[in-house]
Amino acid sequence: MEVTKVLVPVNGERVDEEVIKLACTIARRRKGKVYVVYVIQVKRALPLDAEIESETQKGEKILKRAERIAGELDYQVETELLQAREVGPALVDEAVERGVDLILMGINYKKRFGEFNLGSTVPYVLKNAPCRVLLWREPIE
Amino acid sequence: MYIIVVGGGKVGYYLSKTLLSEGHEVLILEKDAKKCEAITEELGSVIVRGDGCEARTLADAGTERADMLIAVTNEDEDNLVACQVAKYKFKVPRTIARINNPKNERIFKKLGIDVTVSSTNLILEHIEEEVPTHPLVHLLTLKGGSLEIVEVKIPQNSSVAGKRMKEIDLPPGSVICLMIGKWGAQVPSGDTILEAEAQVIAVTRPEAEEALRAALTGS
Repeated sequence: MEVTKVLVPVNGERVDEEVIKLACTIARRRKGKVYVVYVIQVKRALPLDAEIESETQKGEKILKRAERIAGELDYQVETELLQAREVGPALVDEAVERGVDLILMGINYKKRFGEFNLGSTVPYVLKNAPCRVLLWREPIE
Repeated sequence: MYIIVVGGGKVGYYLSKTLLSEGHEVLILEKDAKKCEAITEELGSVIVRGDGCEARTLADAGTERADMLIAVTNEDEDNLVACQVAKYKFKVPRTIARINNPKNERIFKKLGIDVTVSSTNLILEHIEEEVPTHPLVHLLTLKGGSLEIVEVKIPQNSSVAGKRMKEIDLPPGSVICLMIGKWGAQVPSGDTILEAEAQVIAVTRPEAEEALRAALTGS
């Protein structure tokens, strides 16, 4: 698998660390780039470009942690804070804009109404991303 | 401009598509899950599944900051409620409702809906223009429906043909602005003689329309 650009969405969960490390390992083979993004979901009640200070601070903190994790592997990542109405379309747009070869997503094992549930972002990206998508699921706890 | 469109049917879809291409921020509210899915595929994340008549749904949609709400569902009642909630609860500056039954137009106006669009009336007006079977044709509605510009063709056998304008008993509030006869267009004065077969353009009130038609056709 020849990968030169990897997009890694993060959301501050423990799984972020694993996927950032994996993305760096994959990208290192071809001296590729790793883009780490955090998407602030803006409610319709606010304009898309509204400044939500608490969310921005949270996002910046998560992205700084991502840089630190990559730094431990001696790898530099590019980070970006995005604002969107929905996370899935924002990730696909970002992947297209940056021309990435791979989106590497990490999720936890989550249940909803007693059933395993992927949420809405992962299925959207799997269905709509033009590039490869690698899904990393954490073990069942 | 932030515009909320209630109803994701054919009208709502094409309307939203056009508004988006003009650079507006658009959000569609639609109850039907299949329609939501189809529109998301086509237009992206510009649709929220929910009932546009419910205050909760409208609040989540950010109606408070909307510049305009357009209700275009198939149900007149839903369009009325969505516009009223938007106008009176969320203070949306402009509300526009689609009306399917033309009889509801007056009620909508009375209840404060800013603009109403009746597809039935629009089609009828076009038919009247293209196929003039009726001596009176609506050309334009003015002042939110309180005045209208109409065209009346003076029949050959009309009792008013050959009379001076000042001799014709027009209903109150009606004004003849233009007469297009065999000599061309002219702004009529009191002494202008009404020609048979001439087209008369007049401004009138909707309630005086029938009386104007009778006065000019002599029937």
